[in-house]
Amino acid sequence: MKHNALLFVALLCVLLATGSCKKDDPVIPNEEELITSLVYTLTPVTGGAPVVFTFTDADGNGGLPPVIIADTLQANTSYLGTLQLLNESVSPPDDISAEIAGEAEAHQFFFSVQAGLNATVAYADFDGNNKPLGLATTLTTGNVSEGALTITLLHEPDKMAAGVADGNIANAGGETDIEVQFTVKVQ
Amino acid sequence: MHRLTSILPLTLLLLLCYTATKGQTCTYTISGELKDRGSNTPLPYATVYIQETQSGTVADSLGQFTIPGVCAGDYHLKFSHIGCDTENYFLQLTADTILVVFMAHHTELLNETIIHGKREDNVTSVSNTIGRRDIVTQSSKSLAGVLENIAGVSVLKNGSGISKPVVHGLYGNRIAILNNGIAQAGQQWGNDHAPEIDPFAADHISVVKGAAALAYGANALGSVVLVEMDNIQSDPHLHGEINYLFQLNGLGSVLNARCEKAAKWASWRMSATLNARGDLKSPHYYLTNTGKREANVSAQLEKKIGEKINTKLYYSLFTTETGILRGSHIGNLTDLENAINRSIPFFTRNSFSYGIEAPRQTVQHHLLKAEVNRLLKEGNTLQFIYGGQLNNRKEFDVRRSGRENIPALSLLQQSHYAEGIYKTIFGTNLLLKSGIQFNYTDNSNNPETGVLPLIPDYRAYSAAWFVILQKEFKKLSYEFGARYSLRQLNAVTISTTLPRKIERFYHLFHNYTLSGAVKYLPAANHKITLDAGYMLRPPEVNELYSAGLHQGVSGIEEGNRNLQEEKSVKILLADDFSVNNKLFVQALTYYQFIRNFIYLQPLQEYRLTIRGAFPLFVYRQTDATLWGADLMVTYKPTDRLKFQLKYAIVRGRNAAQHIPLVNMPADNLFASAMYAFPDVGRSKNNTISFNGRYVWKQTRLLPEQDFLPPPNSYFLLGATAGTQLGFKESELHLTLSAENILNTVYRDYLNRQRYFANEPGIAIELKAGYIF
Repeated sequence: MKHNALLFVALLCVLLATGSCKKDDPVIPNEEELITSLVYTLTPVTGGAPVVFTFTDADGNGGLPPVIIADTLQANTSYLGTLQLLNESVSPPDDISAEIAGEAEAHQFFFSVQAGLNATVAYADFDGNNKPLGLATTLTTGNVSEGALTITLLHEPDKMAAGVADGNIANAGGETDIEVQFTVKVQ
Repeated sequence: MHRLTSILPLTLLLLLCYTATKGQTCTYTISGELKDRGSNTPLPYATVYIQETQSGTVADSLGQFTIPGVCAGDYHLKFSHIGCDTENYFLQLTADTILVVFMAHHTELLNETIIHGKREDNVTSVSNTIGRRDIVTQSSKSLAGVLENIAGVSVLKNGSGISKPVVHGLYGNRIAILNNGIAQAGQQWGNDHAPEIDPFAADHISVVKGAAALAYGANALGSVVLVEMDNIQSDPHLHGEINYLFQLNGLGSVLNARCEKAAKWASWRMSATLNARGDLKSPHYYLTNTGKREANVSAQLEKKIGEKINTKLYYSLFTTETGILRGSHIGNLTDLENAINRSIPFFTRNSFSYGIEAPRQTVQHHLLKAEVNRLLKEGNTLQFIYGGQLNNRKEFDVRRSGRENIPALSLLQQSHYAEGIYKTIFGTNLLLKSGIQFNYTDNSNNPETGVLPLIPDYRAYSAAWFVILQKEFKKLSYEFGARYSLRQLNAVTISTTLPRKIERFYHLFHNYTLSGAVKYLPAANHKITLDAGYMLRPPEVNELYSAGLHQGVSGIEEGNRNLQEEKSVKILLADDFSVNNKLFVQALTYYQFIRNFIYLQPLQEYRLTIRGAFPLFVYRQTDATLWGADLMVTYKPTDRLKFQLKYAIVRGRNAAQHIPLVNMPADNLFASAMYAFPDVGRSKNNTISFNGRYVWKQTRLLPEQDFLPPPNSYFLLGATAGTQLGFKESELHLTLSAENILNTVYRDYLNRQRYFANEPGIAIELKAGYIF
């Protein structure tokens, strides 16, 4: 019994000894897939200063709330829209839009315009199957109005489903990678 | 030359044996009595068969048998009876021998105590056990699926491939699963993490429902699941079994081989299981990407050193790859709403496939156990156990740009457990069992994921001391137990804000457990047990430190560093009795109060991310009450006919907020009828049975507690037909079974897949088992 008691004490010591070792610092993962920022740049077709909408959440899902910057559009004007997706948690920032363009068949952006907002968005770029992608668009405003514009990026949507090629998200399926909403003023 | 010298004595020995046998007169008698293990009453008309002489006899109406005129020698005896597993016994006959053989006839009366013959262990515990044959016939199921046959056990699922047991409404961190005596140290916190155990390697799977299980340590708040292997039989010949199972739904195959032998150098047992199936099919569509692969091996060695020391070594490896329904992988709440409104899940293919793509999980789990038992003076024993585990879990999500083969969650956990137990008997019948336990766990995230970890890296140490006193006095048995444990947790987190910082946190928890139980035996066929316990459970690392988007629940989960221990009181009353050996009743009721019950509270606010707004869930504490009842009634009007009924209810309330607890099993009823046909030639135990399971709708839930109201009630019909063909030295078991015969379309409240898809439809299985 004495012998066994000794063994226990020895075991306890070993455990306590290992206990004093600190756990190594974890390696902070390189969040290369993260999308921190969406920049929707609208340049008037007729020329002029571009209007820029940005959604930035630098620290990802947790942490601080995102910063949303909206701008004002001119009534009855056509704009050329370009979407840029960035991962600004790494430096230099990663251009995620290039990754999306490379996998165009597996992605599609959708632009949903709230009833009150007098504007339409049309696709200006297409994937290898001639289905819309949405990194490039044309946005046309109507009369003075105000409302929400929701931009959604779906991963692996069913691009053959009814209405999807026209920008209708209802039958698209897939998983949402991005869903951001801007309040747009047309004046 | 060397070879020759080593072979020569062996040959001589064999020759000697042979001549000895030949010269022997055949005048020995093997006689004995057959008894029912459950009721301890004589078992009449059982068959006794000696394999070597191919002769035997049938016991009389009092269970007595006599086989005269047997020669000295080694014999394999087989005892069989309608409705029992055949008992094998190896006998070295050197004199007249009297045997008392216990057969598991009335299994409904069996509990763990009797099965293992370890009178001192849990003499008062309330437990239910599933034996080897039932485990084998259900081997296409997971551990939780096998356990579902016990009243009071439900299954929490994530699709068909991932399931974990729910006992009396509690699961995950709150129940302990012991594999061969070692607490399973995988990632038990996750609702989508199944216990990494191959039920095929087990001889018995039990659920200890009372509080008397405190010696098992871990941090259970009551119930303990025991997965146990028998000792290897002291038979010097090679014995074993090969089982094959074919599943029509999912075109799955399960192959298992197991053999054992008491060799001179040591007794050994090996077991290996291979399991593969493809997409399951619900009544109207395939469940795309629900395939599964599993490969498991285990080895057990036993050696006696001298008269007093018994050593055991056990190793097992569990590996699995499990697909998760493709349509259940969603990006945000909008996706979830869309998925809920679909009649057929997104991404459903209209063809069958064995392929497994993202989302999927792979897990490898190693367990190494060493045990030394030393017999001391006056029947005292000393036991040392070491258990080491290594768990490697990877979860693969649907990701962009070929990252599907980079896990989104990658955890490596190692744990080491050491235990020393001393048992002694004071006077005539006061047993004292005391032990010390140490545990060390190290959990690391592999940064290969490119995703901030949901669970931080951590190390946890715990040391515990326990004592159990047991006393039997006339018709009463008492048990008292106390346990104290100290748990230290060091967590290393990565901040969710920029710049990413590494932060260290330290927790120390003191935990006490007290338990007491009284068993009263007013008659041989009646047992009443009252069991009560006070237990503390320290918060687990996920409850303290979860941080991030949990896509499985479409929410952002946040741990709470200020959580206190859960404090639970559970009282359980069980009444087991039989009437005329025809009617057997097991009734059980319990009440549990948990102060500081840890749960996920959805907050009113939504957190805005670039993927849209997500509900925010925070770990909070409240007071909870759980109560329920389990009932099992068996009626055997004749030996050939058996009816069984199992019924269980659980109620859980958040007592502080006066709302129901989520994830409580719905009321369920299981009924079966079995008929055993007379033996025909070689074929014995010819049985046919029908069963039905009715699960009520879970109505005790408020609409705001879930995205979707609980699914409707459902009824499933099943049938089984089986036979056993006896050969000279072996047996062939054949079983054909079908589940969900009516191809019922249903969803189950405890399956997360219910948001997306129906449960599988009709499942037909053919099993063949060869036992030698």
